[in-house]
Amino acid sequence: MKNKKLLSILLGASLIASIFTGCSESTSSNSKDKQVTLTYGIWDKNQEPAMKEIVAAFEKTHTNIKVKVELTPYKQYWTKLETEATGGNLPDVFWMNGPHIAQYASGKMLMPITDKLKKDNFDTSVFPESLIKLYTIKDEKYGMPKDWDTTALWYNKKIFDDAKVPYPDDTWDWNKLREVAKKLTDKSKGIYGIAAPQEDQQGYYNTILQCGGFVISDDKKVSGYDKTEAIEGIQCWLDLIKDGSSPTAQQMEATQPSNLFESGKLAMVYQGSWMLSEFAKNEYTKDKVDVVVMPKMKTRAAVIHGLGNVIYSKTKNPEAAWEFVKFLGGKEANEIQAKAGAAIPAYKPALNIFFDSTKQFNAKAYADELEYSFMYPCSKDTGKWNAVEGDNFKKVWAGQTTAEAACKKIAEDMNKILAAENK
Amino acid sequence: MSKAKSKKAFIHCLLIFGVILTITPFLWMILTSMKTLGESTQIPPIIFPKKLNWQNYKEAVATLPFIKFYINTIISTVAKTVGQVVLCSMAAYAFARIEFPGRNIIFIIVLSVLMVPGQIFLLPQYMIIQKLGLLNTIRALILPGLFSAFGTFLLRQFFMTLPKELEEAAILDGCNHFRIYWNIMMPLAKPGLTALAIFTALWSWNDLMWPLIVNTSPEKMTLSAGLASMQGQHLTNYPVLMAGSLLAIWPMILLFIIFQKSFVEGIAMSGSKS
Amino acid sequence: MMNTENNISKANRKINSLPKHKASSTKKFNDSFWGYLMIFPTVAGLLIFYIYPFFKTFFYSFTNMGAFGEYAWTGIQNYKSLLTDTNLWLALRNTLLYTIISVPISIFLSITVAALLNAKIKGLTVYRTLFFLPAVTMPAAVAMVWKWLYNSDYGLINYILSKFSIKGPAWLSDPKIALYSIIVVSIWMTVGYNMVIFLAGIQGISKNYYEAAEIDGAGPIAQFFKITIPLLTPTIFFVSVMSLIGSFQVFDYIFMMISTNSVALESTQSVVYLFYKNAFMLQEKGYASAIAMVLFAVIMIITVIQIKLQKRWVNY
Repeated sequence: MKNKKLLSILLGASLIASIFTGCSESTSSNSKDKQVTLTYGIWDKNQEPAMKEIVAAFEKTHTNIKVKVELTPYKQYWTKLETEATGGNLPDVFWMNGPHIAQYASGKMLMPITDKLKKDNFDTSVFPESLIKLYTIKDEKYGMPKDWDTTALWYNKKIFDDAKVPYPDDTWDWNKLREVAKKLTDKSKGIYGIAAPQEDQQGYYNTILQCGGFVISDDKKVSGYDKTEAIEGIQCWLDLIKDGSSPTAQQMEATQPSNLFESGKLAMVYQGSWMLSEFAKNEYTKDKVDVVVMPKMKTRAAVIHGLGNVIYSKTKNPEAAWEFVKFLGGKEANEIQAKAGAAIPAYKPALNIFFDSTKQFNAKAYADELEYSFMYPCSKDTGKWNAVEGDNFKKVWAGQTTAEAACKKIAEDMNKILAAENK
Repeated sequence: MSKAKSKKAFIHCLLIFGVILTITPFLWMILTSMKTLGESTQIPPIIFPKKLNWQNYKEAVATLPFIKFYINTIISTVAKTVGQVVLCSMAAYAFARIEFPGRNIIFIIVLSVLMVPGQIFLLPQYMIIQKLGLLNTIRALILPGLFSAFGTFLLRQFFMTLPKELEEAAILDGCNHFRIYWNIMMPLAKPGLTALAIFTALWSWNDLMWPLIVNTSPEKMTLSAGLASMQGQHLTNYPVLMAGSLLAIWPMILLFIIFQKSFVEGIAMSGSKS
Repeated sequence: MMNTENNISKANRKINSLPKHKASSTKKFNDSFWGYLMIFPTVAGLLIFYIYPFFKTFFYSFTNMGAFGEYAWTGIQNYKSLLTDTNLWLALRNTLLYTIISVPISIFLSITVAALLNAKIKGLTVYRTLFFLPAVTMPAAVAMVWKWLYNSDYGLINYILSKFSIKGPAWLSDPKIALYSIIVVSIWMTVGYNMVIFLAGIQGISKNYYEAAEIDGAGPIAQFFKITIPLLTPTIFFVSVMSLIGSFQVFDYIFMMISTNSVALESTQSVVYLFYKNAFMLQEKGYASAIAMVLFAVIMIITVIQIKLQKRWVNY
């Protein structure tokens, strides 16, 4: 019958096709002598072109090493990495971030690079100190800093001009911010003075530090949430909502503050440095906004986070992997990153090149904050207490409980998690 | 005559109402795919873009190896669909029409596969594929998907509705079960087979987690896994994602239109016994 | 009349034309041999790729497995914790509510659409394809579009409502209604899907019945309820079992449409969402395995009940 023939042809054809696609892949991996192929795991499509350029530059000077860039979307990156880790199959080199570094280091998934750095006399002073600390676990260095981000205050020049209010500058403190936010809120036009969302890196991690508090102690054993300073660092955001200067939490969940800002509905907003290229491209913001350092509270402080390049502990090519990571931390790779403008390179001397690509804004503000930057709060089980933060703070932002009650609960649960980590 | 006409008109009205409800989200997808990124995130939303930005489609095809995605997705979908239709129907026939010891218990064990969250299979299947040395291949995309408890269940139901007389005559004549299955039962189960083919193809086409986890090179990705990379950590390029998604749909729609005719005109025996 | 008789006689002619073999072994051996042989490929594949992982998960539910597969035996500790975990009870309640509402509505709508699409009207292919569109689209794209439709300030739904002077609610962030908003999306997705199965099922109903009913003077509604539905019961049974199993495992829509910081999460998170959260966000893979086992038990019980009840209403 016609159908049977069709069925068997289809089955045969697809099986044959799959065998051939399998075959062609295995013959090409027949390599020349000492030809080594490394896999490099990343997650950001925006940075992929820059990474590929870096790889090309690396392969030119290291002709026996080939690097394959493998991109996994961020949402699935860590799930996939965990699967690969459990299967013993991680990429040779891959991107690592603060919340996960301790987990992977203590899980023995990463190769320490302290000795290699020393042996090759690698000068790590070119990187911000807090980044190096971020990737040092129990006195062993694991990650080569790649980039960094901080948060700063963006403002809509047009709204300020229309209200004849002077732009924010580095003399501002929180009270001034609060006052101006109230002044610029104009419900009839649907404009808010500022957004006060439930955001950690772009929000309360900074203000907690600025109030003199901390999220997690340096020895990672104690939570700082039950201290008054931390509670103040949360309350200040709620005050803005109470004043009516900010959209409600529900509104900001449905529509992101960055979208509101790009639609001219926000006079001011805190945003991380990764938004530079986006604001530069967006038709509305590219000529109507600018950025300045965050206002001070009791002190000046900014939380800094950055990615690191790490090496798989069980890589089959440790020397080649180290050569690649060394290159990634070097001048040439960072200059390529800087020119691409998608991420701020960790290599301090390359900063000027980066700021050239975003000349229309005062992007230097982000670099100014390096002076008083603090390491992103994380520990081995960061995911667990991040969930505690989120579960409790969402009730605060919804007005179901007070900042104080929530912070005390978070501290309690967080301390239990930290105690279990350190057992 | 007018009674029939008004009946038809009424049916059309109901259907059109349903269609409007169904496709409104699509119209939004199409409109978004032609906006600029800024237009797509404007508050209040813009319905019609200032001009038709076909460059989103160009960008989707340029930044992603779309041809490779199509090929990979088509090969793995066809292999899985054909594989399931053959393997599941064989097993379904046996479960429905052959008495053998332990039949019901084995069937319940098969069914139980459907009753747990699919994510629990990710890691163990990954390890098996890894042990077979098939990571990052098209075969890895195909292999676990050849076996389906859902397909077996679906076809078993279909086979159970066919009249018993068919087999009894054949068995008296000395035919073995395989002959009965292949020559007699299969042609009669066309609607069920077509339905299974459509579902398997659909599921395989949109499957996201497995292709993402088991394959790493962009050249081995499927459409949905490849499109997922449009979602960044902080930002998503909505118009390009919508454009890519629309590009990914139309083969399935074509498939559906073709197969529709097959089971509409198909001959089924279910329900016709007295 | 003609079609059915033609089919049976066609089939009988085929049987008679096949080569005859001598009946050598006993029927039972023959049956067992062919039975096992024909289920072998599928069952073997399922054993390796699905049933073995299932048992592994069962094993891990008695451990405290962490991120990278390291684990220690903890006995029934996970199950004990589950009993006191309010999240689990909330998730069960949400999942149950979701299932009870979405499954019957989806089945009813898809049967109706399938019946309408079986009529002798023009444009059937176009209609069928349009109704099928939701089922074909990437879930991620679907979620994004619906999030916009549901946006409380700027979404299309509230915009239309405002034209009638109704202030639309916060569809996705109000804990009281978020679950129903998700149910609407899932019904939207599954009607096209189920419609395909019901179309196949309706095709199998002999036209004789309808012709006889016409002659007896029965209108279309009567025909629908007295002929279509009763003869469709095997298909309805299949769809309801599969829909129940599927909706108990709801995850994607919730994951993509409700953010982790939303107060609506507690009233929408499903059991599988809880599983995902524990397995991949909290790195508690042992606990997550226990959740999976509980879900399995619940679904198994409900399915067995359904199978036992089928004798009462399904006409084979």
